[in-house]
Amino acid sequence: MNSGYQDTSYNSYAGGGAAGGGFIPDGGSQTSPSGGKSYAQDSLRPVTIKQLHDAQQTPEETVTIDGAPITQLTLVGQIRNISSQTTNITYKLDDGTGSIEVKLWVDSDNMDTESSKSKLVENSYCRVWGKLKIFNNKKHVGAHIIRPVDDMDEVSYHLLDATATHLYFTRGPPGEGAAAKDGSASNGQEQYNSGAYGKADLSGYSPTARKVYKYLSEGEQSNEGLHQQAIAAQLGIEVADVARAGDELLSGGLIYTTIDDETWAVLEAD
Amino acid sequence: MDHPQTPRILAPNLSTFQHKLVRMLGKVVQLRGESATIDAGGNVDIILNRDAHLSVGRAVEIIGKVDGDLRVKVQAATDFGPAEKIDWDAVKAVVEATHRHKTIFYD
Repeated sequence: MNSGYQDTSYNSYAGGGAAGGGFIPDGGSQTSPSGGKSYAQDSLRPVTIKQLHDAQQTPEETVTIDGAPITQLTLVGQIRNISSQTTNITYKLDDGTGSIEVKLWVDSDNMDTESSKSKLVENSYCRVWGKLKIFNNKKHVGAHIIRPVDDMDEVSYHLLDATATHLYFTRGPPGEGAAAKDGSASNGQEQYNSGAYGKADLSGYSPTARKVYKYLSEGEQSNEGLHQQAIAAQLGIEVADVARAGDELLSGGLIYTTIDDETWAVLEAD
Repeated sequence: MDHPQTPRILAPNLSTFQHKLVRMLGKVVQLRGESATIDAGGNVDIILNRDAHLSVGRAVEIIGKVDGDLRVKVQAATDFGPAEKIDWDAVKAVVEATHRHKTIFYD
């Protein structure tokens, strides 16, 4: 979606490392606070097994679900088969939406999990934390941790968690009223894209705030930015609503005031 | 996939899933040898297999096929502990989510 930005944050990180490690503020404007993108790359996502089978792999080898890159993931399922090898234990997990192999590498550090392992038996439920691996189009999960589920409500909880996260990525954050109505998948996708407009993560902002931000980023202007009345006139939104959207964006640090409190410009991160 | 999808349903969904494999979580109400009744958002008659060990008052998750008379022929049963410890509202919410947002649950 935004590979340019990814490069930037990666380069700035590499630059920092070369300069002796740590966070080097004089790396310049490049060491901006990481936006939604790189944050998402380190997220822990609750998923169903069907979502893993439906996951898309981009040419850059990133795996995405609902258009959002995934790295760490967690799932809850019923163990259908266990096969112990010298280097790993492979569990076949079934959560009702599909089944997938989960491999836990045998490691002397994992000795303390011995007690929980005895409870990981066929037909019992377990929770897994790990990463999706794809080899020759065959998917499996490389697990960091597998532990038995003791409280069966965790099964319900996880499925609801996965649903909520799926809706977050397809329809944007909750509380957007009409936007939460059952819509087509493509409609949902659009909303997600608008949520991640440009370099800023606009999830959590009102639709008006997103519009204002978009206009401020694209509209023709001097370096003094744009006056709220000009924005209101251009977008056909009430000045009061624009002012409210402006407050939201100001408090989020996405825009700043220029010549007076009612003239704003986008705070460029780089 | 060795293990077919088993959409989670409750009693009111049975007719929609006739002759299909489903997964149901319910409370065991009555045992009658070869068959039993569970309360899964309404009473459901289930036909037991030999390995199913149910006891009244406990929650059980069954995987089975819905027959023409809306009974479920059990293929596997998993004990979910004492029924009063289960958050049944959450169970209902999961079934609702399963069907409303089926893209992440079943084909």
